[in-house]
Amino acid sequence: MLNTFLKTSLYILLSLGLSGCATTSFSDLFSNYNQQMQEVKSAQQRGDFSQALTLVPERSESNGTYNLSLLEKARLEFLASQHQQSQQDFAQVYRHVQQAEQAAKIQLSRGLENIAAVISNDNATRYDIPYYEQSMLHSYQALNYLSQRDLSGALVEIRRANLVQNKALRANQKALYDSQQKMAQKGVSAAILASKYPSMNTAIGEVKNGFQNAYTFYLSGVLYEAAGQANDAYIDYKKALEIYPDNVTVQQDVWRLANSLSMDNDIELFKKRFADNITQGMSQTDHQPSSSGQLVVLVEQGIINSKQEVSIHLPIFTRHNDVRFYSLALPRYKNRLRHYSGLSLSYQGKRYQSQEIVRLQSLAAKQLQDEMPAIVTRQVVRLIAKEKIRQQMSRKGGDIGNILAAIYNIASEKADTRSWSTLPDSIHILRMDFAPGTHEVEMNINGNKRTVTFEINEGRQTLITLTAIGSYTHYQSINL
Amino acid sequence: MKKLIMITSVALTLTLIGGCTNKSVVRYGDATAVETTDISFGSTDLQKVAGQMTDSLLLSPVVGTLTANSRPIIFVESIKNKTSEHIDTESITDSIATKLLRSGKFRFVDMDRVAAARKQLEFQQNSGMVDTNKAMQLGKQVGAQYMLYGNLASIVKSNKDKSDVYYKFTLRLMDLESGLVEWADETEIRKTKEKEFVSW
Repeated sequence: MLNTFLKTSLYILLSLGLSGCATTSFSDLFSNYNQQMQEVKSAQQRGDFSQALTLVPERSESNGTYNLSLLEKARLEFLASQHQQSQQDFAQVYRHVQQAEQAAKIQLSRGLENIAAVISNDNATRYDIPYYEQSMLHSYQALNYLSQRDLSGALVEIRRANLVQNKALRANQKALYDSQQKMAQKGVSAAILASKYPSMNTAIGEVKNGFQNAYTFYLSGVLYEAAGQANDAYIDYKKALEIYPDNVTVQQDVWRLANSLSMDNDIELFKKRFADNITQGMSQTDHQPSSSGQLVVLVEQGIINSKQEVSIHLPIFTRHNDVRFYSLALPRYKNRLRHYSGLSLSYQGKRYQSQEIVRLQSLAAKQLQDEMPAIVTRQVVRLIAKEKIRQQMSRKGGDIGNILAAIYNIASEKADTRSWSTLPDSIHILRMDFAPGTHEVEMNINGNKRTVTFEINEGRQTLITLTAIGSYTHYQSINL
Repeated sequence: MKKLIMITSVALTLTLIGGCTNKSVVRYGDATAVETTDISFGSTDLQKVAGQMTDSLLLSPVVGTLTANSRPIIFVESIKNKTSEHIDTESITDSIATKLLRSGKFRFVDMDRVAAARKQLEFQQNSGMVDTNKAMQLGKQVGAQYMLYGNLASIVKSNKDKSDVYYKFTLRLMDLESGLVEWADETEIRKTKEKEFVSW
């Protein structure tokens, strides 16, 4: 009797150990990622990035969460202005992503992870970086190259980001449908899940999909313009406009380039769509050759929320068509969005106000919502497997077996709360014309006043990346 | 009997472990051998591009007349990298310039080393260390007559079965005085990688 019990526990331990050497460390299985990141994030909130860096949990290269750790580190290094180090770390993540993409269709090591995940939890699987995180990776990498005065390197990253967004667009629709079908086969109805699972609609806002990142498109437009490729810039500004149709800065840019490239059909179209002050203000300056340069401000605000664990009771239809209730640990995002007032400044009697170009929190929440059917399907498979183990152990090991199995099942029932959680929450943009020369302008960011010094060259753009986290503000200016 | 089983199992385990560990080996290889480690821009692509471009340039009839009586002076502008990879395009222009120089038909000025050359000339003129009669004079350099420049573009596509990358390398030779493009050519490379079915 005890022998079989030992065998079963040995089996669990062995598969855990196996998964351990393959991908996951023991601690990752029993503590949530959001708990591990809590201290890192509070250091980041204070603006103490070097301390935050030391607090990021160390992981070995074989660990399934290694690339996520690197992302967090690279982002913190970016914030701490260690651009070279950050660039190396991002490049390493990119290599991992490439490897995963070019890997064989059936990977035995993944199969092993999945077996480990069936008897423990999703944290045992490899972390696949979602598309919105990949597009942010390339955007930061582009800024890293820019801060080392390498425009052509930055443009390479921009092209990579565009490849990611194209891929996401193609992959998404079918994947969504397939995962819903699979969940239905496991006896979970989508309607019941929707009624039980806490809503994230406020967090998602008006985002239509979890990967189209207007910020990346806008940054891409700015860099293409700096490289003298106005036509490429125009295309990317238009893509950004598709996602954020009401952003005045993007409207102005689209209008400006549509005029300078003589896109007659588009001009007619936009004339009806845009407000009068955009279409008229522009055509006036079009007549007189302007001897000014432009300031582009990218304002990063706040920190994105971590995923949280939530337990829901879900009725699942078994094969004999009877209903059983199971308790599932699922990841979720808080269903609220913080309000950011953005950047405002007065210059020569005119007030300027930045506007949102991406809400990463919404992208993350939408991404999670789209993944939910697949997560629930895996969870149900896991619950049934664990229940089988418990029955087996209680039959062979009596009460002790039953209790041990139950304890293990509860302890290992953890939601996968992994996500890139040092990203900003929201990013705003603002573009203004300035006369050439050095300027000193007082900017108001989320209620904090900050004097920003920058240089404007004639006919060129000056890019300012501004970070506002809590009461911490920092800026970097790059002449493009 | 039991002992025998134990000994064989221990021996088996040892051979298994032994089989897994292998020594790393350092070898010399052929520098011009075809390299297919992965799908990204590699040494074979670089050699192919540089080789084809120089051959085409040297064999073109226009260049034949240009180099009939003189050795034109060329300045190499950078190759614009329009791909989605970080490629050292200077290395491509270096290869092309070296091959052209080796042909003996062209001469080159190197814009990357202007500052170093100026520093040396100023040292010879002003430091007082160099015999003024033997010092090289400033302002006697010869200007380039032609400019060599180009683009490297790529199209990358992939689906769940394979990935495909297409490179197009364009090179042009411009007469700096008249602004006429005297010669141009392009090379294309296509690489496809089919995914393995099963791997570790």
